[in-house]
This record gives sequence, C-alpha cells and structure tokens, in this order.
Amino acid sequence: MREPAGAAGTKEPAALLAARSTHRFSGSFRPGHGTRRTTRRTAGPAGRGGPLPYAMIAPLVVFIGVLALYPTVLTIIEAFFHIDPLTPPDHFAGFGNFSALFADAQVRQSIENSAWYIVFGVVLIVVLGTAIGLLLRRPFRGRGIILAILILPWALPGVVEGVIWSWIYNPTFGVLNSFLKSLRLIGQYQLFIGSHQIETIFLITLVQVWQITPLAAIIVLAALQSIPNDLYEAASVDGASGGRATWTITLPLIRPALAIVSVEALIMSLNIFDQVYVLNANAGTGASLMSTTYFLTFQDLNFGAGYALSLMATVCTVIISLVIYRIIYRKVEFS
Amino acid sequence: MRRRLRRLIRLVALGALVVWSLFPVYWALKTSLSTNAAAQQNPVQYFPAHPTGVSYQALFGAGPESADAVGGIGQALVNSVIEVTGATVLTLVIAVAAAYAFARLRFRLKGVIFYATIATLTLPVYATLIPLYRIMSDFGLVNTYIGIIFVYTSGFLPLALWIMYNVFLALPSSIEEAAHIDGASTLQTFGRIVIPTASPGIAATAIVTFLFGWGQFLFPLVLSSSNSTEPLTVLLAAIDSRNAPFTVINAAAIVAIAIPAIIVFFLNRWIITGITAGSVK
Repeated sequence: MREPAGAAGTKEPAALLAARSTHRFSGSFRPGHGTRRTTRRTAGPAGRGGPLPYAMIAPLVVFIGVLALYPTVLTIIEAFFHIDPLTPPDHFAGFGNFSALFADAQVRQSIENSAWYIVFGVVLIVVLGTAIGLLLRRPFRGRGIILAILILPWALPGVVEGVIWSWIYNPTFGVLNSFLKSLRLIGQYQLFIGSHQIETIFLITLVQVWQITPLAAIIVLAALQSIPNDLYEAASVDGASGGRATWTITLPLIRPALAIVSVEALIMSLNIFDQVYVLNANAGTGASLMSTTYFLTFQDLNFGAGYALSLMATVCTVIISLVIYRIIYRKVEFS
Repeated sequence: MRRRLRRLIRLVALGALVVWSLFPVYWALKTSLSTNAAAQQNPVQYFPAHPTGVSYQALFGAGPESADAVGGIGQALVNSVIEVTGATVLTLVIAVAAAYAFARLRFRLKGVIFYATIATLTLPVYATLIPLYRIMSDFGLVNTYIGIIFVYTSGFLPLALWIMYNVFLALPSSIEEAAHIDGASTLQTFGRIVIPTASPGIAATAIVTFLFGWGQFLFPLVLSSSNSTEPLTVLLAAIDSRNAPFTVINAAAIVAIAIPAIIVFFLNRWIITGITAGSVK
C-alpha cells in the first residue's frame, strides 16, 4: 500500500482542518488562495480594492490589535518587571520574577501537576476521540441522535460540569462511591478529590475529558469520512482484517486530524482552570498552572510573578504544539 | 457467529457512549428534583421517587429554603444573555465583513493581517488575561457589560473569521461576477447576494460563538464578577463555595446549562458544521 503524500487541498473537511492548524508552520496556505484568478478577472470594484476593503477590516484590526496582540506584547515585557499595584512605578527586574517563581514550592508543585494534567488529558482525549470517531464512521439508523447526545458535554460550560461532577465525586453521598461500593470495589466511602495527588488530578482531568472528547471525535469523524471507500475495498481484497486495516490504512490517513486533536487536547490541558477551581480550589494536590497563576495574580496581587508564569506557559504551549506537529502531522492527499 | 459478536460489542460501546455523555447531566437534574434528605440516601436512588420543585423555588427566591446563600440567579441569567448575545452579534458583524474582504477583495497587508489574526487562535489564556485586566481597569471597563463584551469579541473573532473565510471561499464567485456585470456595487453584492447565500455558514458561526460565550468563566471571574454584571458561570461557582443546599446548587447548574442544552437538542447539525469548519474550541 502506497503512503499517499502531497499538498493538503482545501476541499475536504479534514484537509480544511489541517490547513487551519498548519498554516503558520507550513506556509503552504495563502489567504485568497484559489480565488485570485477569478478576482482579477472580475470587472467590478471587487477586483480593484479601493477604500471599501479597509473599512471592512478596520474593526477587526482594532479589536485584535488592542485586545489580543497588544496584551500579548505586554505579557512578554512585563514578565521582566517588578510590579506592585500598591507601590508604583514598576521597575526592571531582569529574570528576578522567574527565579522567585522557581523558589516557590507552590509553583513547582503546579508545574508538576500540570504535566500530569497534560499526560492524562492528551492520552485520554486522543484515544477516546479516535475510538468514538471509528465507532460512528459508518452510517446507521439513529446516528444523528447519537451525534447530538455526543456533543452535549462539549456545549456545556466547564465550570458547571465541575460543579455537577463534584457531587458525583462527593465523599459522603456521591453516586461514584455508591456505585463502586455496590460493585464491592471499595469497602467504604472514599475521599476521591484532595487526598492523593495523582488520583485527584486524574479525576479532575476526567471532567475535562468528558467535555473535550466530543470535539476530538467530531474532528476525527470528519477526517474519516473524507477517506475514499475504495481504499478500504483495496485493503479487504488484499486480505487485511478490520483491525489491521484500521492500524495500517485508516490511522495514517487521518494523521492531520490526529495532530489537530492532540494540539487541542494539549492546549486545553495546559489551560485547565474551571474544573480545578470548582473541584479543588487552591489546594496543592490538584492546583494547575492556570489556577496558580490566577491565585498568585488576583489574590496575592503578585502581578510580576503572574506575568512570568504566564509567559512561561505561553512559550511551553507553542513549543510543545510544534513538537506534536513535527511528530504526528503528515500531509495527505486523495487524488 | 463472529459477526454477531462484533454487532454486540458495537451496541455495548454505543450504549456506553450514551450513558457516559448523558449520565452526569441526568444526575444533576435528578438531584435538583429531589429533597435534600432523598438526595443524601445511601446507597443512592437512581430514579427520583418523589420529584419536587422546591429547589427551583428556593433558587428564584420563592421557597422556604431560599436564603442569602442563593439569590441573584435571575440577574445572572439576564447578564449572561446580554453579554453573550452582545458579543455574538458584534463578533459576527465584524467577522463576516472582514472575512469577505479577505476572501474576495484585494488590499494591502492582506496576508499579514490575516495571519496575525488567525495566529491569536493559538494563544493560550495566559498570554492575555493579566494585561486585559489592567487595560480594562485603566479604561474603567471592569464590571461593565461593554467591557466584557469587548473582551469576548476579541477572543471569539479569530475563530469566527476563520469559519466565515472558509464559508466564503466555498461559495461560487460566478454569481457575484454576474451581479457586477449587471452593475451592482461590491457593497450591494455583499448585502443582497453574498450574505443570504452564506446564511447557513453565518448561523453555524453564530451558534458556536454563542456556546463559547455561554461557557466563559475565567475572564468574567476576573473582569465581571460584581452582582450587577456576573454571568451564570461566575454566580454558580460562588453559590457552590457558599453553604447552599446541594440540591439548590444542582438546580442552579441545571439553569446554567438549560440554554446550551436546548441549542444542542434543536441545532446540533449546525454545531457539527461549525466545529468541522473551525476545529477548535
């Protein structure tokens, strides 16, 4: 079986997704790509430009410039300043904020915790999302209803999900305790959240997995449905069994989607906050990088430390995303 | 035989998927309809024996269990609707106009501006949270509707732009060319032909944007946590940390998810279209 290779097109959903998430890195995707020729041919003002296009993009430029790009630049600069809202002005601190961070046991704990959030989150979301995508690949009666049920957790606010699950995990009358005890898996009711670090992180991750897996499944499903059927037919003629065809044909073909899903899962896991805030608040057992950043900044009013931690998390996100892309992403084309 | 086994495994997997997706929501609903005593029984009852609405009465300030611990949910519901609807409308207006310009018109710095906007999709929350708080407080926009609507809009724009850009690219440009030849201006073509043709894509973008907005927690927690502007998510976390009866907290959770749940129930096809075109949350 030849491994398909080539440039990503933009007509299939999977390729569309791939283009979205790779354009920054591959440079193969240009705005207006594919329409340039037609616009040139156009006789009307559409092809010529004039002041209208500038008016149409002006609000976008203002919003993105003032409320997204400028704040990002501020984070980069301010991470190197000592900032105390009570005693201005701010003064240059070099790497002072960063060394103070690493001296803080709470911060070191949250870095370790976030590493666990990422491991659990990425593995569970990618594996479950792919499994659900494969399960729903072929049309069957009732698939529409299953899809609607599937996306429900994705559409609900993370903080509400945290609250709902906190009662499921409740140590004195939670349904998880009752269920496990009725199966005789535990002898007596347990304190699930807050007693053991790994257990706490795993159970909080599970709440986010519940929310994000539907997104992963939908992306994988869209990629699966863009694989031509004759590839499967060729595989079954060659005698490949269902499981082997999945490993050797299907999964390599949806690598762009798997890369997107992995990066999504990574970013969500690195940003995990709502569920941690509700289920674990500021306790060290489950504190994530984001929750520590929040409490450092807005409760302790240590803005310099908050900026430094934010910058580190941002740089980590970008680097790990790039690494995941390098490993997983392969361009795929069906001719 | 083997075929039957496979079918059975499939059915079990589908059943597990349905239970996994629905059970937590069902459980919150069941708890909210129970009395405190019934909800604390050991072992748990999986179905409510005597459903009751007292928690909802308490939540909206009408029942005997109503106390200072709860309250304000009506205001928070109004806040959520105003903030999320405002941000959705503003995002759509800006994104649709800009996406059309990027997809069809020619102007200077087009590529740079497009990439700079889409690149902000990959920024984690960390990159902007603290400076946004400082900018908003400098302009006196903390705890105002307009402040949170602006921040939401800046956050939702890149995805909305990306989805709408792909929607416009997928439209055949021949109709627009025909309109031009008939003497229509770009603006007339855009308003009378392009927008109606692209309306399914616009609807999908609007629904996905609205759901994002409804789920926001960290930004409003920092920027909009006064009683007069806090959305449902912030109020729910506050109620949760106070000593409210847990059946009432579950009722508040159900109120907070009612609107997105209704959207999923009726408009799930649009959501899937939106996710597939945008592939990001």
